[in-house]
Amino acid sequence: MKPMNQPTDVAQPVFRLEGVQKRYGEGEAAVLALRGVDLTVARGELIVLLGPSGSGKSTLLNILGGLDRPTAGHCWFGGLDLANAGDAEITRFRRHHVGFVFQFYNLIASLTAEENVELVTEVSDDPMSAADALALVGLATRAHHFPAQLSGGEQQRVAIARAIAKRPQVLLCDEPTGALDVATGIRVLETLVTANRELGTTTLLITHNADIAQIGDRVVRFADGAIRSIDTNTERRAPQDLHW
Amino acid sequence: MISRLAKLDRKLLRDLLRMKMQMAAVSAVLACGVVLAVMANGMYDSLERARDRYYAQYRMADMAAAVVRAPLSLVPQLEAVAGVRALEARVAGVGLLDMPGRGDPVSARLVSLPPDRAPRVNNIVLRAGRMPNPARSGEVLINEAFAKANHLAADATLSALIYGHKRQVTVVGIASSPEFVFAVAPGAMLPEPERFGVLWMGREELARAFDLDGAFNDVVLVLDPGANARLVAVDIDRLLARHGGRGAYGRDRMLSAQFMADELTSLRTMATILPPFFLLVAAFLLNVSLSRLVATERSNIGLLKSFGYTNSAIALHYGKFALTFGVAGGLIGMIGGRVVGGYVGAIYANIYQIPGLGFDAGPAVYLNALAITLLAALAGAVQAVLKAVRMPPAAALAPPAPAGFSRLGQSLERFAARLDGKSRMVARRILRFPRRSLTTVVGIALAMGLLITTQHFPLAIDRIVAVTFGVAQRMDVLLAFSEVADDSILRDVGRLPGVLKVEALRSSEVIFEAGSHRRRSSISGVPAGATLNRLLDANLVAVAARPDGLTLSDNLAGKLGVSLGDTVRIQATDGHRATADLPVVAIVRPYLAASSYIDLDSLNRMLREPGRVTAAHLLIDSRQRAAFSARVKQLPRIVSVSFLENARASMSKLLNEGSGFFSGLFILFSSLMAAGVAFSAARVTLAEQERDLATLRVLGFGRREASYVLLAEIGALLLVALPIGVVIGAGMSRWLMSQFQTDLFTFPYVTSALAYAKPALFVAAAVMTATLLVRRGVDRLDLVGVLKSRD
Repeated sequence: MKPMNQPTDVAQPVFRLEGVQKRYGEGEAAVLALRGVDLTVARGELIVLLGPSGSGKSTLLNILGGLDRPTAGHCWFGGLDLANAGDAEITRFRRHHVGFVFQFYNLIASLTAEENVELVTEVSDDPMSAADALALVGLATRAHHFPAQLSGGEQQRVAIARAIAKRPQVLLCDEPTGALDVATGIRVLETLVTANRELGTTTLLITHNADIAQIGDRVVRFADGAIRSIDTNTERRAPQDLHW
Repeated sequence: MISRLAKLDRKLLRDLLRMKMQMAAVSAVLACGVVLAVMANGMYDSLERARDRYYAQYRMADMAAAVVRAPLSLVPQLEAVAGVRALEARVAGVGLLDMPGRGDPVSARLVSLPPDRAPRVNNIVLRAGRMPNPARSGEVLINEAFAKANHLAADATLSALIYGHKRQVTVVGIASSPEFVFAVAPGAMLPEPERFGVLWMGREELARAFDLDGAFNDVVLVLDPGANARLVAVDIDRLLARHGGRGAYGRDRMLSAQFMADELTSLRTMATILPPFFLLVAAFLLNVSLSRLVATERSNIGLLKSFGYTNSAIALHYGKFALTFGVAGGLIGMIGGRVVGGYVGAIYANIYQIPGLGFDAGPAVYLNALAITLLAALAGAVQAVLKAVRMPPAAALAPPAPAGFSRLGQSLERFAARLDGKSRMVARRILRFPRRSLTTVVGIALAMGLLITTQHFPLAIDRIVAVTFGVAQRMDVLLAFSEVADDSILRDVGRLPGVLKVEALRSSEVIFEAGSHRRRSSISGVPAGATLNRLLDANLVAVAARPDGLTLSDNLAGKLGVSLGDTVRIQATDGHRATADLPVVAIVRPYLAASSYIDLDSLNRMLREPGRVTAAHLLIDSRQRAAFSARVKQLPRIVSVSFLENARASMSKLLNEGSGFFSGLFILFSSLMAAGVAFSAARVTLAEQERDLATLRVLGFGRREASYVLLAEIGALLLVALPIGVVIGAGMSRWLMSQFQTDLFTFPYVTSALAYAKPALFVAAAVMTATLLVRRGVDRLDLVGVLKSRD
């Protein structure tokens, strides 16, 4: 069952953020990780979030994915205010609308590649088949391998397959290439771009690597808990054209 | 070195604080073992010491001999026998008492006191009142248990029927004696303090009453240390033979001493069997906890080694975890053992009339318990410590390889394919870590087995009582006669009011000899067609005592080393001292220790005393019980009247004494064990699966769905453990019942569905409670922190 408030209108933004703040701790020890972020994310966009460590980009991504809550401001996903939604609503939101990709893959070691994907498809409303998802990331032949039998790049692609298999509206990727070599990183980025293009999945991607910014529609630069600039790429570069 | 260790110790302290719940689980299981060890060993020590002190201080007889009538002039000769340290020639017998307000007759053992001094053997402890004045007649002491049970105090007067003469006696004091820690009526098996007492009175008066002026009929003696009891017995028997000596016997034939020895054996068995269960399980738990700690501290170990810490420093560091767990469990256990011991001591003090008996364990009991606890803890730690020591620094600094899973094999995979993803995770983890899964299964199964076993004791006791008093003994009353009587007495008994049926019994002390084995025991002559006191085989089928040979209890047959068809020589200890060689024609397994049987007429023929009886079993009309009781007291030769329902109640009371306390204790300890095992297993599963559980949560699974992975793993292991626990419990119960076989009792293995269902419920509840406690960790998972960290 999908939540009522999901954004269905193409013109309607997927996310709308108003004055989002995030404070950790209390009193003198308090740290302001986000100092009032305003941002609108349109359907189908691929946004790259750039910035040094501690600049607030991961905090923002966690708030967008319902893993964390802002201490002030609003974060709308369609009609759902993620800042004030209940636990069950947030869980449903993650279950039906969001796919995550982390730096360290986080595959379940006791399940094969295919089973890792099926874990999600079993509980989704309109998923693609696990085989299709794996084919989409180029791993159709590795479906029956356990994570320990796959390379880092392959594991990350399984993680992407698992994230996109439920056809989420949003894909949130936190340093998905951080633990990979260049060639493997490019392969992973290609997979993300393919998903974004073919499935129309709105994608937000965190990276330290300024070169990767060229694959996005927009580049949001973070510093000290705030957005410093938002640039629109006139032309998106294909991952295989990148070098770093 | 010291400052280095000091820093490591600071780390140890913080780690221990972090692991406090695991420490509590392991220490609790260890503590249970220590409590049982301290309690059982301490009680054994206390009871043995109190008994030995009592025996030594009040000169408990090493040997005794009954004689028909021997002149006092024989005493110097008896005292001169080599090996005799002290001797008391007494007058002893049995009489009936008429208690105010009690319709049923009460019997008493009468024992003479020397006129001018304390008894040299089997001395008495005056607990209240004063000693009888030899110058005044009718003054007696009564034993403490009897006084308590009948609320008798000094100054009470009783009417006694002694040797056919009625006389009034006055209680002037209350006493106890090592001879009567348990006082058992003639013909009875167990103490019934309400209906059987001991009366001490002046020698002259008692001798007159029994027509034994200038004579004695009972000798008790203390031997020199190291004296050869066998040789002393031969000399004593030789001197008494002319006067109707019935053969000297040692403490193994003194019922009171036998009860004590039995109890000590039971305590020793308990101390040997039960604590290792808990220590073994605790060692397994410690192994699991420490292995997990070493795995998570991999990089720390690498760092310490790269800084130059020696392997021994590292071994010591992780060894200290085990020692801390051990010391914590040991200390809690010692304190708990002291408290539980105190309760048990009070129960024992209530059963045994031994001055100063209470729980008084020596330091050795505590130190031994602590030592075995530390050993168990170290044994549990060895593997993890070695792993830490053997870890090469470079490898320790690198991240661990991800846990490699593989397919389960065709049939299991087919099964797995039918499961959902989360259940498949559970199945693969259980099989991927078989040793750990096995530890959990074995721990829970042992707890279950232990609880099942303890549930079987009350069943066995109920069965003994039910069979003895429901199936074997079907009389209403047992009458014991003062000595071997002519069977014409049965006619007098038959004329008593309300008597519906009379059956004779002859019981005689004899010496059994087979090969090199020699035992003094009793033989029962049972009339053909007896229905009131039946002999039962293992299947509770009545077995008739046969005229052509001996029917032996398996206990006695074992002690004589004989089996069916073998010949046993029997020598009477009184009368004509007849001897006969008889074949063993049947072996039975009675619950209560009657040792051998033969047809009554055959026994009488063998003893060359036809038509004699020593007791009678009666069926009476319950409506005429009062009239029966009033009249039976007047029959001269009757020394004991025992109503079956009273005997049944006494037996139930004695056997069940403290059983509620022990039952509660074992339920608590077994549940603690099961909970400790489940808690440790769940903690390790949670720690290892933290990332997977966080992943499930991020993928959109709710808390309940994520918790399923944790609960299903422990639940599945519980389901495997329960039937194994049933098998362990059944095996252990059977084995333990055979271990608890003593000279007096045989514990049958009796079972019931409830003996399994109740433990299963308790264990399942304990396991699920512990797991749900750990499950709260799923709610507290830091999703972002876990998923962004490297494994």
